[in-house]
Amino acid sequence: MMVEFGDEFEFQPDVSMPTVKSFTTEATRMDFWRFTDHEKARELGGLPGAIVPGIMSQGILAAAIHRFLPGSTIRKIDTIFRAPLLVDSSPTARGVVTHVDEEEGTAEIDLTLVNEAGETPVLGTAVVEVARAE
Amino acid sequence: MILDLHNHSIKSDDGRARVESYCQWIRKKEIPIDGFVLTEHRQYDDESDYRALEDEFGLRILKGSEVETEYGHVLVFGVNDDLRAAFDFTRIDLPLATVLEESGRCGAQAVPCHPGRPNVGLCAHYETRGVPEGVEIIEVASGGSRAGEDEAAAALAERHDYAGVGGSDAHIVSHIGRCATRFPREIRDEEDLVAALREGGFEAVRWT
Amino acid sequence: MDVEELKTRFVGEEFDSTEFEVKPADALAFARCCGETDPRYSDPRHPEYQAPPTFMTRFHGRRTMPEEFPEEYFQGSFDGGKTVIAHAPIPVGATLVGTSQIADVYRKTGRSGSMTFLVHRMEYRNQEGEPISTVDWKLIRKDEA
Repeated sequence: MMVEFGDEFEFQPDVSMPTVKSFTTEATRMDFWRFTDHEKARELGGLPGAIVPGIMSQGILAAAIHRFLPGSTIRKIDTIFRAPLLVDSSPTARGVVTHVDEEEGTAEIDLTLVNEAGETPVLGTAVVEVARAE
Repeated sequence: MILDLHNHSIKSDDGRARVESYCQWIRKKEIPIDGFVLTEHRQYDDESDYRALEDEFGLRILKGSEVETEYGHVLVFGVNDDLRAAFDFTRIDLPLATVLEESGRCGAQAVPCHPGRPNVGLCAHYETRGVPEGVEIIEVASGGSRAGEDEAAAALAERHDYAGVGGSDAHIVSHIGRCATRFPREIRDEEDLVAALREGGFEAVRWT
Repeated sequence: MDVEELKTRFVGEEFDSTEFEVKPADALAFARCCGETDPRYSDPRHPEYQAPPTFMTRFHGRRTMPEEFPEEYFQGSFDGGKTVIAHAPIPVGATLVGTSQIADVYRKTGRSGSMTFLVHRMEYRNQEGEPISTVDWKLIRKDEA
């Protein structure tokens, strides 16, 4: 297989306000102030600022897998939103291969979105069918 | 001997790690622990037998539980039939006093975990509910802590003269071995672990 | 209504069925915003072009809860997580049928105190009835102190 237990990968996703606004308007039609307005999120929502939609965080983690394993197919992705991930922050999307099934051609991957403080507001796991080398 | 005292496998509702993968990860990353304890949420897993994995990876794999009380979550080590009959592990509102007393009576050891965490840690409840009697050990190093939470736990331990242990609170494979407890003696099984906790002389260690 | 009653009355019952169109512009924007670089999701000219595997998380049925479900029960709840099982590629431009059910209700305690968890499940099928995607949405409500 193209992947081994313990392989690690990461990328820096773009969670800037313009990108989140594009996600909430063009991609999903869920243009709520808690995602797109820092001030209202603080004043009305009691949040530290506008937050990245959970489904965008999950989409970022799926993209991280595809960047690491192009051509692979995600069979299952499970994400837990433990704390707000802030818009305009600089998180890192990380993955670690934690199980490889040679017979099935699948890998299990730990996924995290880590913020600048080293905390993990989003974590999850995925089962991926790994593309075989031609 | 160094044991990571607080971890969850797929047996817990929010655990996503296979025990075998924990073992592989520890060896692959050369994490300097000699074993770990599986403390599944609101249950004691008496079905799983990890002896083959212990032999394959040369690691000690022990079992405990993480129960839920009005003072927050509590690790219980040395769970046996007597203790399982003493209270309902599935409840989310167990009285801490019951967990502490019954653990003592049944030869187990109760250790409140992540004390600095909002709502589910001891610190949040001391002002409103008072200082509970019978706490001897708390978790002062937790892999799941956010900024300031372990510091609050350490301050609590110092104020009340509690001993401190460490555990990763891992729910995914790559989070095991972030925190652990160094014991001055060998620990072979759950009874040994309870004895070692009662003897003292251990210390929390943290790698992240 | 307590958790056990909610479970007995509502878990497993299909309460909504709605059609959803996988619009090409939406799928492309979803991929771009999430940082997809795999051409199967980012390039409509790719022979295997499809929507990103988590794309169906963006939809909700006509009803979020069963008709007699005490909706106020989950007012002010927050999103605890999503699980997606991808059974087959999500065809861009297709219309899928999504059915909704409550898959589980349970209580536990966490950083936010005592909480009730509700697992809302949507199963998406194509017009031939073949499964495309299953999305579990974990809704969390803080219990009153």
